[in-house]
Order: sequence, then C-alpha cells, then structure tokens
Amino acid sequence: MAIVNRAEGRAYLTPLVGFLLFFLGFPAAVNLIYSISTVSFETLRSPSLSGFGNYAAVLADREFWGAVSFSMRFGVLTALAECLIGLFLAVFLTPLLAKRSYLMAPLMLPLMVAPAMIGLMYRLVLHEFAGPVPYYLFEWFGDSPAFLDVDNAFRTLLVVEILQWTPFAFLLFYMAYVSIPLEVREAASLDGASALKALWWIELPLMLPTLVIAFFIRFIDGFRVFDNVYALTGSGAGGSTTSLSIYIYQAFFKGGAIGKAVAASVVLFLASLVVLYGLNWITGRGRR
Amino acid sequence: MKLNRTSFSAVAVLLASVALPGISHATVTVLGWPGGSEETALRATVEAYNAQSGIADADKVELLFFNRDGFFDKLQADMAAGSDAFDVNLVATYSIGRYAPYMEPVDLGADAGKVFGESVLKTMQFDGKQFGVPTDLSLHFMYYRKDLVDALMQDDAGKKKYAEIAKEHLGKDLQPKDPDSWTWDDWAATTLYFSKQVNSESPVRYGTVLQMKNLLFNVMVFQSLPRSYGADWTDKDGNVTVDSDAYKTGLELYKKLYDAGASPKDSLSYEYAETNAAYGSGQAATALQWNAAAADLTNAEKTPAVAAVTGIVAPPAGPNGRADHIHGLGLGLNKNAKNKEGAVKFLKWLATEDAALLYARSGGSPALAPNVAAKVSKERPDLVKLGEFASQYGYVMNGATSANALSVYELQAKEFTGYWAGQQSLEDALARTKTGMQDLLKK
Repeated sequence: MAIVNRAEGRAYLTPLVGFLLFFLGFPAAVNLIYSISTVSFETLRSPSLSGFGNYAAVLADREFWGAVSFSMRFGVLTALAECLIGLFLAVFLTPLLAKRSYLMAPLMLPLMVAPAMIGLMYRLVLHEFAGPVPYYLFEWFGDSPAFLDVDNAFRTLLVVEILQWTPFAFLLFYMAYVSIPLEVREAASLDGASALKALWWIELPLMLPTLVIAFFIRFIDGFRVFDNVYALTGSGAGGSTTSLSIYIYQAFFKGGAIGKAVAASVVLFLASLVVLYGLNWITGRGRR
Repeated sequence: MKLNRTSFSAVAVLLASVALPGISHATVTVLGWPGGSEETALRATVEAYNAQSGIADADKVELLFFNRDGFFDKLQADMAAGSDAFDVNLVATYSIGRYAPYMEPVDLGADAGKVFGESVLKTMQFDGKQFGVPTDLSLHFMYYRKDLVDALMQDDAGKKKYAEIAKEHLGKDLQPKDPDSWTWDDWAATTLYFSKQVNSESPVRYGTVLQMKNLLFNVMVFQSLPRSYGADWTDKDGNVTVDSDAYKTGLELYKKLYDAGASPKDSLSYEYAETNAAYGSGQAATALQWNAAAADLTNAEKTPAVAAVTGIVAPPAGPNGRADHIHGLGLGLNKNAKNKEGAVKFLKWLATEDAALLYARSGGSPALAPNVAAKVSKERPDLVKLGEFASQYGYVMNGATSANALSVYELQAKEFTGYWAGQQSLEDALARTKTGMQDLLKK
C-alpha cells in the first residue's frame, strides 16, 4: 500500500478545496455581506454596509417566528410520521419483497415525482368540483371537507408530504433491516425471544444510526419545505402556511428586502448547524 | 465500420434536423405571459409574423414562457441581473414602475393611437414614455347563470324566499333584479339565495365563487367592490386611505358571504383556474372573474355545463356607481436586448391594425378603438363589452403604477385573506395594511 506523505496529501486535496471555496465559499461570502448591507435589486453590485440591522429586523418580525413555528411543526411531524410508517413497512414487507423484489419499483414511485408537481397534482385531486376525492366523498357521504381551507390546510400538507417521502425512509430502513446478520436473529430465536422482543431489543438498536439519520434527513427536508406547499396553498390565508423557505423567498423577491431575506437564511443555516451537531452527538452516543 | 459510419450520419442528420431550425429562427426572443388566452393568441400572431415574406431569418421571432406562478419575481431577477436571454418582455400597468429602469421606450408609430386609442396606450406609459404595445386589457366581468336568474324572476315563492333571506342576512328589503342593474347588495342577496347552506331548495350548491387565495391578483378582483363605495389607496395628498369605511364594507361583505357558505369552503385557496372550474361545473350561480375567462366560459366545447346559459354584465354598483379594475398587459423592449432592431420591428408590427385584429381573432383581448373593434364584433362579442366597460367603469387606484405597486397588492392579499380566514380582526388587518402601505408607497 502506497504511503502518502502530508505534503502530497495536501497537494491532492488542493483542487477539491479550491473547488469548494469557489463554488460554496464565494456565494456564502457574498451572502454574508448582503446580510449586513442595505441592498436592493438595483444595488446588487454595490451594496452599502449597514451593520446588523437586517438580523435585528428578522428577529423582531412576528412573521419570521410564525414561519419558524410552521417549519418546525411541519419538519418534526412529517419526519416522525415518515419514519414510523417507513419502519413499519420495512419490517412487515421484507418477507414479501424477498420473494417479489419487483414490487420495490412501484413503492418508490412517489420519489420520482418533483415536489412542485405533487403540489399541482393534489391541487387538482382535492378541488371540490374537479377533484376525484371530493367527488367520491360527496357521492358516498353527501359532503366533503374543504381540504385546503384554513382549518385543514396544515393537515392536508402533512399528508401530501408524508405520502411522497415515506418511501425514502422505508428504503433506508429496509436496507438497514435486511443487513442485520442472520446469526443474531437465530441466536435470539434460540434464546426464546418473540419477534416483537427481537425487534425491540435487538433489531431496533442495531438500526438506531439509520433511524437517526433518516429522521434527520427528513426533518431537514420538511423544515425547509417549499415546492409542494407553495404549489398547493401559496403562503396560505394570512400567511398561515408560510414555511421559512417561503418567508425568505417572499422577503427576497416580493418584498425586495434582500438584506433581510439573506439574514433570515443565515439564521436558518445556523439553526441547521445546531440540529446537525445535536443529532451527531446522539448518534455518537449510540455508537459508544 | 460501414455500419458505424451509417449510424453516425443518421445521428448527425437527426440532430441537425432538430437543432438547426431552432438556431436559424431564434433571433428575436419574446418573453410572453404564460398560460391562458394570452399565450394562445401570441403564439398564433408570432406564427403569422414569421410567415411573412418580408421578415429576414435574422429577425424571426421565437417565444419563451416562464411559469405563471412567480412570473414577475423571476422577471425582476432576470432584468436586474441584466439578462439578454430575451429581447422583448412582458410588462403590465402595475409593474411598469418596477421594470422601466431595465427597459427602453419604444416608438410605435402614429397609427398605434388609431388602433388602440390614446387612453389604452397610456396603460403602457411611464413618465410620459411608451414602454410597450398594449396586447391585452384586463378587467372583470360578472358572469351569471341566466337560466337560474330568469327562473327566480318568474317564481313568486322564490321571490318571497329571496326577500326573507335578504332581510335576515343583509338587513335590507330587496327583491330580485335584472343582473345588469345589480348593486352589490342585490348580488349578495342573489348569491345567498342560490346557496344550499342558506336555501336548501337552491338548484345549485353555491351562489358565487370568491377568489380568496393569498394572491395579489385576487385583490385586483376584490377591490372593485370597495372602489364602488369610494375606496382608494391614497387621497390626493398621498395619505394612505385603506382603513376607510369603503374598504371595511367590502371586506365585511366578502367575509359575510364566505361564512354563510355562499362560496365554496375552499375559496381561500381559489384563484383564476379554480374559479373557472367551480363556475364551469354548473354548481355556482355567479362568479366575478377576469374577462380572459369569457372565451372559455361561453364555449360549449370547453364548458358544456354552463356555456349556453352564461350571461355577462359589469361588476355591480355601489353608492359611487360601478367600478371595474383595469390594467394592460403588453410587450416592451429589454434594455439589454441582443437584437434591438429586430425587436422594435416586431413591436411596431404588433401595434398595427392587422396584427391587433389577428391577435383578437386568436383569442387575445386587446382593447381596440371602437371602429377597429367593430371588425371583430361578431367573432368576439366580449371585446365589445371589454371596451365598453373599460371606458365607462375602468379605474386605476392612486399609486397603483408606482414601483412598489405589486408589493402593495401582495401586502393587501396577505392581510385581507387573514381577516377572511378569521385569523385576525378587521381593525388589525387594516392597521397592518396601512402601516405597510405607508412604508411601500413612500419608497
């Protein structure tokens, strides 16, 4: 095996580091400058530094906190539901998929559709006069809920997100579940452990890192949700379904408050780092 | 080897046949308004323009469309970045102030005034300069079911019920009237009468379809109601007057109708398409909707359930008479256009009578001078109404062409829908709107 000394290692890494610095570092630096500047579309190339007023404006904005609350609730609830349903499917469908692996393709189908398209699809499917769901509910029960009114919009958005992304969690859990060594299960069985006990005390602990990672990925995705929420409800009546991403988009484009929008995105980035380190710590403890 | 050569040649021919026509023709790129009758009409008009013998290949026009959702935001970003991806771009009355810095004025020639009329050309002017060809005029029609209203007018029991409903819900003594002489109260009483939740014997599920999604265009549809009660964005001194009694009356009436079940429960997520679908299903008696929908809603192939029984009148009257929001959509010259000469040539042609008539016959809604409109009155009777309503009832709010007009509409949409949805009081909604508008209009 070839030994690479420190200097050679640095030389090999230089192109990658240069690439990252240019394509990630440069935009990040520009954004940091914008976040402490007075800037508009007309002055994008000549922002004037103005201190931390944009951060103060963001943190004092009740709509920002409304968006944080929406994103937090949406992220946690969808990640939890997707992980629980995905885990359930992984455990109970594994024997079936072992015999009929071709079933995996249709199970993954929702992942193939762009989230914005999913939003548009459900806008049609749930429309009281054009959609099949309200049509059959009217046929069978004489009434249909208004899926996108202010009382139901949040629940509808949750269900749409969960339907699309549960296959992703399922895929991760399925791979983790089938990779548990057969000997471990056989030993548990010989010791008289029931299937439920084996799942709780042996299989789930072995799958814990995957569970945490899946939850983390789905939480981050749910937290920064934009496409399907925007396609289905815009930002909701009175801004009731404004996620943090939609808040940033609206502040940037519609409000022209570029500095404030970028400051909000920096706050979002810092909050994501906190979550990332928190989960890293949890998975680290799990491994120890 | 022979097979490889053959395959290579075939692929080359295939690629050339696909790519070359696009390259040779795409020299004036026009960014149009996506979807609906505007796109259909523009496609047909451009096809005719390119087919003319005098148009050099270098000046032929290619069309480009973004998504309708967020169109103006993307356009803003592109223009601010100095994009030259298009030579001609869409512009609207309410966005001229925002885009004028990135565009160049264009001289349409002396005949343009004869085709459109000076007042319509003004919808595309900023600081006294012409920034575009007014391809479409947008205002609102009150669509209603003639069969239902006629039946009500001849039904004594129905009239009695109507009067009871008007008294109970609106506190007024009202009798059914011909839609062309409706006040907003008459319309409200009619919508309540035709709503199952209020009148279980109604032949349709809803009396109207309110567009209440948090969307700037929906505010344009709504604001003709308070306007007919005397509302404006600002007074003559520039003071924001959105907290006036006129706005309160309009906002309260919408909420009253929505809460009473006169409009679908999902109305808070409705915009243009949903409104068409609801009215077109035959389950709503009226709809205040953009004129652009007329071609579809009165077309028996596209809307078989109601096309034959749909009547069109101007929006109802308030104490200050009738009012109809009006704005123009048009095409203008991008300051960074790569082919300015070709673009100006196309814009000038678009402002000629032949092109305007072709655009109208292809489904567009240009506001034509009366003698020009008369030439298409048989094929497009709605264009006659368009011109009539625009000249008699058309209005533009004070400040609605300013650089931040779009942001004002956005703000109103958010706060008003918050009130309609019951998330905040009327006073809070108006106070927040006023504060935000003061900030936006002073910039």
